[in-house]
Amino acid sequence: MSEKKIRIGFYALTSCYGCQLQFAMMDEILQLIPNAEIVCWYMLERDSKEVEPVDIAFIEGSVSTEEEVELVKEVREKSKIVVAVGACATQGGVQSWTDKPLDELWKTVYGDGKVKFQPRMAKPVEEYIKVDYRLYGCPPEKRDFLYAIGTFLVGSWPEDIDYPVCLECRLRGNTCVLIERGEPCLGPITRAGCDARCPAFNVACIGCRGAIGYDVAWFDSLAKTFKEKGYTKEEIIERMKIFNAHNPKLEEMVNKIFQEVKE
Amino acid sequence: MRYVKLPKENTYTFLERLKEWGRLYAPVKISEKFYDFREIDDVRKVEFHYNRTIMPPKKFFFQPREKLFEFSIKDAEYRETLEDVEPFVVFGVHACDIFGLKIMDTIYLDELPDKYYKVRREKGVIIGISCMPDEYCFCNLRETDFADDGFDLFLHELPDGWLVRVGSPTGHRIVDKNIKLFEEVTTEDICNFRDFENKRAQAFKYHEDWGNLRYLLELEMEHPMWDEQSDICLACGICNTTCPTCRCYEVQDIVNLDGNTGYRERRWDSCQFRSHGLVAGNHNFRPTKKDRFRNRYLCKNSYNEKLGLSYCVGCGRCTYFCPAGISFVRNLRTIMGLEEKSCPPELSEEIPKRGFAYATGIRGEDI
Repeated sequence: MSEKKIRIGFYALTSCYGCQLQFAMMDEILQLIPNAEIVCWYMLERDSKEVEPVDIAFIEGSVSTEEEVELVKEVREKSKIVVAVGACATQGGVQSWTDKPLDELWKTVYGDGKVKFQPRMAKPVEEYIKVDYRLYGCPPEKRDFLYAIGTFLVGSWPEDIDYPVCLECRLRGNTCVLIERGEPCLGPITRAGCDARCPAFNVACIGCRGAIGYDVAWFDSLAKTFKEKGYTKEEIIERMKIFNAHNPKLEEMVNKIFQEVKE
Repeated sequence: MRYVKLPKENTYTFLERLKEWGRLYAPVKISEKFYDFREIDDVRKVEFHYNRTIMPPKKFFFQPREKLFEFSIKDAEYRETLEDVEPFVVFGVHACDIFGLKIMDTIYLDELPDKYYKVRREKGVIIGISCMPDEYCFCNLRETDFADDGFDLFLHELPDGWLVRVGSPTGHRIVDKNIKLFEEVTTEDICNFRDFENKRAQAFKYHEDWGNLRYLLELEMEHPMWDEQSDICLACGICNTTCPTCRCYEVQDIVNLDGNTGYRERRWDSCQFRSHGLVAGNHNFRPTKKDRFRNRYLCKNSYNEKLGLSYCVGCGRCTYFCPAGISFVRNLRTIMGLEEKSCPPELSEEIPKRGFAYATGIRGEDI
């Protein structure tokens, strides 16, 4: 590790600010202070400066205005590593979970009111700039944040999570709400890392950490399993889309299962 | 071997006494249908007639998550974090699961023992219990339906109690210390024991020879079953994490925010995950779901030379707990031609190239 302090920026787009709150409230953040210079993180540092060159830029929220498109581009140019934080930045968030056109959404919320920004459909940060690493979840896990920063601090690269919540259900000794009660648990297609928090309370996973990447989220197999339990195509797609609205494979793979039957 | 009888009315007293030998774990109902080994406070909650636990007893010895050591980068030092393991008793282990532990021993207690596994194995008392198979059980075909060793005590159910086999010096000590709870085995008990074992042998769903399974699996790498079944697989890894003999783990180094100290953790892994076969340069030994699916079948049916058994003990967990409803047994029987859907040989002018070495898509050439 070099003696030079690592420069950190935390930027917020359209979001609830829950991600940065989650991290700002960590006791461990104090350990970081001797090693890091907080260039921009309004929740921690009153004299934050937006947008200065940094080593690691964290971005939370979905890109939902023209101004935010420009902001993320500028952050990208001035940052060595860009980390998308939370369900909004990585997957577009629940605000992406709609098929309605922008005009209609706009009217529903603002009516004829005037605002000083140019709206866009909510999208993940990655739709506009290259993202180097992702912290998933709504809200993201403290453990993931510690792991990523710690690993960056020693000049190494943190691993991505490519396995499903089911693993953590078993490691934790949970029962299985999908097999036992036939609930539409999205655990099998959703990234682990939450220590299977919801299933541990007998609540089926809604997939807030997003579908696993690397083409190993088997929407088709899970749709088949759900279908056998009596769920309709619409129910399945709607549930899977809550946190995966921008996944290019989702609908195609679910449709495949329902087409096979008609023949 | 020493045989004694535990009369039914002494069962709960006996369980209570077991707590003197360490923390007591036994099968309990954890939800509507499922069982698991849990720490026992009230011995009346112990289930004697459970079908299978969702977690195999390996979890007591090879822990699901475990810190291995702490390190300091600046000092270039590491310190093992092997905890002080207190003695414990695992009551109610089925024969298949005892074989599961014996298989784990051949891996983790070899010439280079895994010290984290070893210390727990030394501190754990194993008490077996007899069982009646359900439709998912096939330990009879794996020759793991009756444990000759690998336990301290083994309880066989009788109409009025338990016939107890004593399998270790610790087992002797437990019996001797509680000798007033036990009786001598009578001729009637032996008859009842034989009766139970006969009934049990009849109760298995399949009675057939699986001797040719190992090489048929290798020869049938291109069988349509692999495509059909891997297609519906969720790759969730539950088959691995509920398996009493799956022993793969993944390690991760977690550095603290001081950028200097940290620790290494290991956790159970699954060969159904992409990263299981991932190596440097982004190459993958098993790049497709089908490759990973097939890998488990080959691994579980390979030959454990030390025990002369396969790595699968026939507990039925991977089928019983599969969310996609994939039947391991049915798929194996399909390969052996014992299910309806056996493969008709295709006529060809050429000599067909068959077997593992010729299988397509298993070496990751598309990367």
